[in-house]
Amino acid sequence: MDSKRKRIRTAIDVCCVVLLVLIAWELASSDVFGVLPEKMFPPPAQVFFQMVHDAAKIGVGIASSLSIVFQGFVLGGLCALAVGLLLGFNARTSACTEKVVSFLAAIPPVVYIPYGIALLPTFRSCSVMVIFLATFWPVLTGTLAGVKSLDKRAIDSARVMNTGTASMLLRVVLPGALPLIFNGFNIGLTLSFILLTSAEMIGGNTGMGFYVKYYSDFGDYTRILVGIIVIGVVITIISTLFAALQKRLTRWS
Amino acid sequence: MTSSAIEIRNLGVVYKDRGAPFRALDKVSFTVKPGEFVSVIGASGCGKSTLLSVLEGLLAPTEGEVLIGGKPISGPGRDRSVVFQQYSLFPWMSARANVAFALEQAKKSLKRRECLELADKMLARVGLEGFGRRFPKELSGGQQQRVAIARALVVDAPILLMDEPFGAIDAKNRCLLQELLLELWEGEPDCERKTVVFITHDLEEAILLSDRILMLRPNPGHVHAEFQVPFERPRHRLELLRNPEYQQFVSDLSDIFFELDYQEVPANG
Repeated sequence: MDSKRKRIRTAIDVCCVVLLVLIAWELASSDVFGVLPEKMFPPPAQVFFQMVHDAAKIGVGIASSLSIVFQGFVLGGLCALAVGLLLGFNARTSACTEKVVSFLAAIPPVVYIPYGIALLPTFRSCSVMVIFLATFWPVLTGTLAGVKSLDKRAIDSARVMNTGTASMLLRVVLPGALPLIFNGFNIGLTLSFILLTSAEMIGGNTGMGFYVKYYSDFGDYTRILVGIIVIGVVITIISTLFAALQKRLTRWS
Repeated sequence: MTSSAIEIRNLGVVYKDRGAPFRALDKVSFTVKPGEFVSVIGASGCGKSTLLSVLEGLLAPTEGEVLIGGKPISGPGRDRSVVFQQYSLFPWMSARANVAFALEQAKKSLKRRECLELADKMLARVGLEGFGRRFPKELSGGQQQRVAIARALVVDAPILLMDEPFGAIDAKNRCLLQELLLELWEGEPDCERKTVVFITHDLEEAILLSDRILMLRPNPGHVHAEFQVPFERPRHRLELLRNPEYQQFVSDLSDIFFELDYQEVPANG
């Protein structure tokens, strides 16, 4: 069976599973069976209509969450790349940086929140800082490992061509290290969403985490479910797009 | 132009970063004339790759002098291009981008588009027309080495250094690559021919390709013997194989080349 037909088969299978879950959910929460308490587990149709009704509010929440993640993630990633390439290419600085980073990366970024609150003016900037750190350390670790993993023969052939430092770093070292750099970015992305959603639920007044927290105070489980599903869908879409980017950029390996 | 393209005087290399100091080369001296094709042959561990690393400018000599065009080597230079054994292409670049990259580094004035066009022409000359957009992993070992040759030749440096370029290629493709190299090198008019230093462990390959053969012997690496190859150019493998003088020459050199190994067995065992 060719790969296209396999993909279609998988898509159909997934749709069937989703449909079965929805049917089971509908039945379980209906009056007929009454297995689940209706207040906590409203039927899917009700959740769906609530989602449509709240679409504008959800849109604003998603935009707020994503802009924070995007800023922290991109900024943290780029800084880590720059530091990793510059310090990783030299054997001595690489060995030293690796030790220091293994300590700093082990510290969960949330423990810096007291400093964030004291030094930064808003919830938003504090969240960006946490996500910056959540991305920076894994990407830096990945970059150092990636640079170290480079094939010496490729570096040598660039050397004998008189490749300048900028070209060496950006066109030889960076692409060669990319597969391991992406490992770091993937960890950073996962951590960023976990941290941001938690932060929004604890101290935020915007975003999807806040949406869930806010309605949980009213015991509005319909909207809690809306929030959970939307968060799942949004993160899945972002991860899929990112995986596609990764596949595109490392298709040579 | 000076009378020698490469001049090596009393070259010695000692590796000190591997525990006990290890002498890889000792008192190596020879010269290569402009446009000459010289093969350096020897068993593994005789220091032939170390010798080439010095010529590439990647390794500084411990003792002695290496002059290129009359000037001491100070690192890699635009006057030399290199073909390594294998896996030296950038795997993240297509074949044409690999060739164009070398050109961009050598001739900064060229635009990227021009480099890619010249790369395509060079790839066509090594028999890879239409393969330019493939990544190295999508090419066979022989095709990858063709790209490596294209990458080395496209910059048009006067000196070509080749480090066992066909050593890891299957027998048939190795023959095809040797013929390609002969064709490209002999195809140039005499005065424009590149100076080639070719490292190999294959005696017949050395005889087929070169004007002169240097035989290296290990512990520590030194030039043991030197031979002028007496056959007319352009050379063709099949004609040579039918030539009784060629057979005699191979046999004579084999005696010396393999005798070295026989003597080393008791010494090592």
